[in-house]
Amino acid sequence: MPNLTIDGQQLEVPAGTTIIQAAKKLGISIPHYCYHPALPVAGNCRICMVEVEKQPKLQISCYTPVAEGMVVRTDSPKVLEARKTILEFLLVNHPLDCPVCDQSGECKLQDYYMKHGLYNSRLADVKVKKDKKAFSIGPTVMLDQERCILCTRCVRFTENITKTNELGIFSRGDHSQLDIYPGRQLDNNYSGNVVDICPVGALTDKDFRFKCRVWYLAGTKSICPGCSMGCNITVEWDKSRPHEYKKARVMRLKPRLNTDVNNYWICDKGRYNYHFIDENRILHPQLNDELISLDQALDVMVKTIAPLKEAKRLNRIGVLASAQLTNEDLFVIRKLFKDALPGVGLDFRVPEALGDSDDLLIKADKNPNTAGALSILQPDGDVGAIVQKAKSGELDLLYVFGHDLVKLLGVESVKQIAKSIKLFVFQGSNVHETCSYAHLNLPSSVYAEKEGTFTNCQLRVQRIRTAFPALEDAKADWQIVAMLGEKLGTPLSYKNSQEIFKDLAATIAPFSGMTYESIADQGIVLKA
Amino acid sequence: MEKVVSRHFGQDSTQSFVNYLKDNGYRAARKALTEMTPAGVIDEVKNSNLRGLGGAGFPTGLKWSFIPKDNPKPKYLVVNADEGEPGTFKDKYILEQDPHALIEGIIITCFAIQSHKAYVYVRGEYAKAFGSLQNAVNEAYKAGFLGAGIMGTGFNIDVVVHPGAGAYICGEETGLLESLEGKKGFPRLKPPFPAVVGLFGCPTVINNVETIACVPPIINKGSEWYVQLGCAKNGGNRLFCVSGHVQRPGIYELPLGTPLREIIYDHAGGILKGRQLKAVIPGGISAPVLTPDQIDVKMDFDSLKAIGSMAGSGGVVVMDETTDMVFAAMVAARFFAHESCGQCSPCREGSGWVYRNLKRIYEGTARPYDLINLAGIVNNIGGNTICAFGDAVTMCLSSYVSKFRHEFESKIKGRVCNTN
Amino acid sequence: MDKITAKYEQKRAALLPVLHFVQVKEGLISSDAEQNIAEYLSIPVVHVHEVVSFYHLFRQTPEGKYHFSVCQTIACALRGSEEIIEHIQSRLGIKPGETTPDGKFSLSVVECLGACETAPVMQGNKEYIGCLNKKKIDEIIDQEK
Repeated sequence: MPNLTIDGQQLEVPAGTTIIQAAKKLGISIPHYCYHPALPVAGNCRICMVEVEKQPKLQISCYTPVAEGMVVRTDSPKVLEARKTILEFLLVNHPLDCPVCDQSGECKLQDYYMKHGLYNSRLADVKVKKDKKAFSIGPTVMLDQERCILCTRCVRFTENITKTNELGIFSRGDHSQLDIYPGRQLDNNYSGNVVDICPVGALTDKDFRFKCRVWYLAGTKSICPGCSMGCNITVEWDKSRPHEYKKARVMRLKPRLNTDVNNYWICDKGRYNYHFIDENRILHPQLNDELISLDQALDVMVKTIAPLKEAKRLNRIGVLASAQLTNEDLFVIRKLFKDALPGVGLDFRVPEALGDSDDLLIKADKNPNTAGALSILQPDGDVGAIVQKAKSGELDLLYVFGHDLVKLLGVESVKQIAKSIKLFVFQGSNVHETCSYAHLNLPSSVYAEKEGTFTNCQLRVQRIRTAFPALEDAKADWQIVAMLGEKLGTPLSYKNSQEIFKDLAATIAPFSGMTYESIADQGIVLKA
Repeated sequence: MEKVVSRHFGQDSTQSFVNYLKDNGYRAARKALTEMTPAGVIDEVKNSNLRGLGGAGFPTGLKWSFIPKDNPKPKYLVVNADEGEPGTFKDKYILEQDPHALIEGIIITCFAIQSHKAYVYVRGEYAKAFGSLQNAVNEAYKAGFLGAGIMGTGFNIDVVVHPGAGAYICGEETGLLESLEGKKGFPRLKPPFPAVVGLFGCPTVINNVETIACVPPIINKGSEWYVQLGCAKNGGNRLFCVSGHVQRPGIYELPLGTPLREIIYDHAGGILKGRQLKAVIPGGISAPVLTPDQIDVKMDFDSLKAIGSMAGSGGVVVMDETTDMVFAAMVAARFFAHESCGQCSPCREGSGWVYRNLKRIYEGTARPYDLINLAGIVNNIGGNTICAFGDAVTMCLSSYVSKFRHEFESKIKGRVCNTN
Repeated sequence: MDKITAKYEQKRAALLPVLHFVQVKEGLISSDAEQNIAEYLSIPVVHVHEVVSFYHLFRQTPEGKYHFSVCQTIACALRGSEEIIEHIQSRLGIKPGETTPDGKFSLSVVECLGACETAPVMQGNKEYIGCLNKKKIDEIIDQEK
């Protein structure tokens, strides 16, 4: 393993490591555009040049492998001057679009100029004009050829990651243009990622276009609930200028690096599936047509459950939990409806068709926590039986968590359930058809409004975190169930999700030893 | 003086094969294949002091010795006939008037580096040269000089003549390889060098047409003879291409080390209309321009390097007293701007920027500030790029600005001050 | 075209000669041709288009029946290429990159053609014509009209 010195600090790295990778290990961040850890090296931007002792010319650190005894300086006057030089060349033809460019505030030209540039412009010529400005190249991405610095990250992405080859650099010299093949669209399942990797505002997100300046955004680490992959994300929401954009809080989702799960990427479905956080929410408990308080709503449920408990006829209760719920939600549901109220029909495996999948990130199971639900609920019945009983009047209470039964069973079945059953309770975050058939609707919070954990298809337990408080009367699913338990004489007095997880880890063997601290940002795989 | 590479020029090109055979044609190839070892051939070429005549002047035998012998991959020879360096037109003559000299050189070179496949990359515009070479290759195949088991030996060799499509950057070694592989001519990051990872990832030697055409005479007459023709460390003759304001523009085969003055005045007939010399480019447009007080320089790689220029491709472009040096610089800058491949930022943005700046200076609309900036901007391109094109831009343009500064200044002082 | 690809160790390397072949046949490289060639060589069509747009000998729009390709680089510039280009422009009424309305002539200005010894030089269609002067240009135009 070669030993080398960077800026006076010594370190040892595996052979084949490049200077930029070695520097990163020391916490030294060398400016770069075309280099990306997940893409093949291009070496064309030249801004990562560093000084290597005994070499007359500066070397690009993204491509040069370390050697034994190498002495590197990333901060010498020669290097600092070279960075200014490269910036100057890149800015010569770059349009002064900052006031209207979405990338402003997270633009690598701006950032590096403020850190390494700060020179006086000596451009006295007309800038090179290109063909396409504000040009849609697909359903998700907008292209501006003049802003492009031709780093080829996006071209390498469509060539090596998605292997769909939509993008290319055409013509040559300073008339080179990034473009999509004429007549084609950038419409693969990962198109939004090119916006993430574009260091400037050449490729921008249509969904985010002109919505919010990035310096108003706060980011909260979370997990995408779209499928069992559990891609790591950051929920980015408007923290200081609620400027009435449909009164929405979440402005966009960004993938978060996790080399064990999704690397740098996220699929488009996951990326753009955040509007439900702010749109079409169930805000208040509703009994038939009347809005009531949560306390009153739970009393209604107790009126049905308590006599059944008395009469030891708990088999007249059916609970359809969900693999969309967190481990904490599911554990509290288990504690009430399995441990405290044995005989209740409890399951989560609704008859839903598997969705599409691919070799990259997309999984057919569109639930984020199937593994957790199996592990925690350990169901031994089946949902079909519960539904049958509901339809034929053998149930007094059906408590549904989140499922759109109209979609799953058909509207006739749902109508029949509503007719035959004494109390049809729906608890969910967003309004859909089933809500109009349920007798009692309870508002639950979405994943971005609560702490908790999901277990993905790798059996990896990952944390979701609270970005902002729940809307109106909505509460976390576990909170509502715990309050119900309280009223039924089963105290489930957890102060927060962390306490639930502690109990869960002590109870469910595969989770043993895990804590929120140990799960941290990368997750831990369940014990076998 | 003994003519070597141009010995068959001017003959009836329809008889070139017959004439070539009559003049010891393919004897050197037979000698190499039957009497010598590959290592022996490399040594002979090393000892001859033959240097690359495409532009870089790298010792040819040394380049061949970089091919790793224990590498199991097939080896390739690629002949660079992209001839795009402004002022250069010699390879065209070899391809049109003595193509079999090139073919014989290819055979010997392939034997030396143990390659069985050679590609000749001919620039797209040279339709006539392409046809002439392809014709000669067909003749050679028919006569058993190419193909399987040539000339009764067990040695197999195939030659493919491949067309370019109009890009100067494909004359750069690795740009050529990329183009030959069916891609844009983007020069590669180095290392690895072509001798280890070249065409299709295999060890490859890339040599200029003229360089390869010199190989048969070296094998026939020996390295010592070749050394004597030239001067210290620069063996043999070369084809000097003379153009510009001279009486007799054309090809002149002369020993390496011939003084520039002799080339211009004795061979090319001196300046047109009896005018005075003002400037001369000694080795293609990338070579820094020389002033009249410098023309006693010996035209070999080392002497020209010593005075701050380069022997390059041997393209001598002569400029007389009527030449506007700002115009000449602008034409050079325009060439670079049009031919930059656009891969790396300093060259892509810099070459266009410098051209626009020079254009304004030439047209008289520039400010004093622009001239001060020009030198700075030009110097920032070279040394920071993927290939030597960026270095050429810097070397070439800074030589005009520094040696003829007063002309640039006069264009700026001459501007009428406009307060609008 | 199979004869062309057979010479190369990798099919993709035959792209330039295949493009030349198609252009000679059809006068230009159409988008359909790009798709067909991409399929034939098993490469993404975007790479074919990149190559077509990079090399200036490949065209995607038709040329005039007689195409002037006049060199403007140093040796030709020193020997009067600017006047030649000016003269062609004024006689034909077109600028570099344009074609006459009747489709008979088109003009482009190019860099060094490698014939500096006969500067100023141009390619008339594929033919190299050197030692140009206004008279020669006039003769060509009158002949090809």
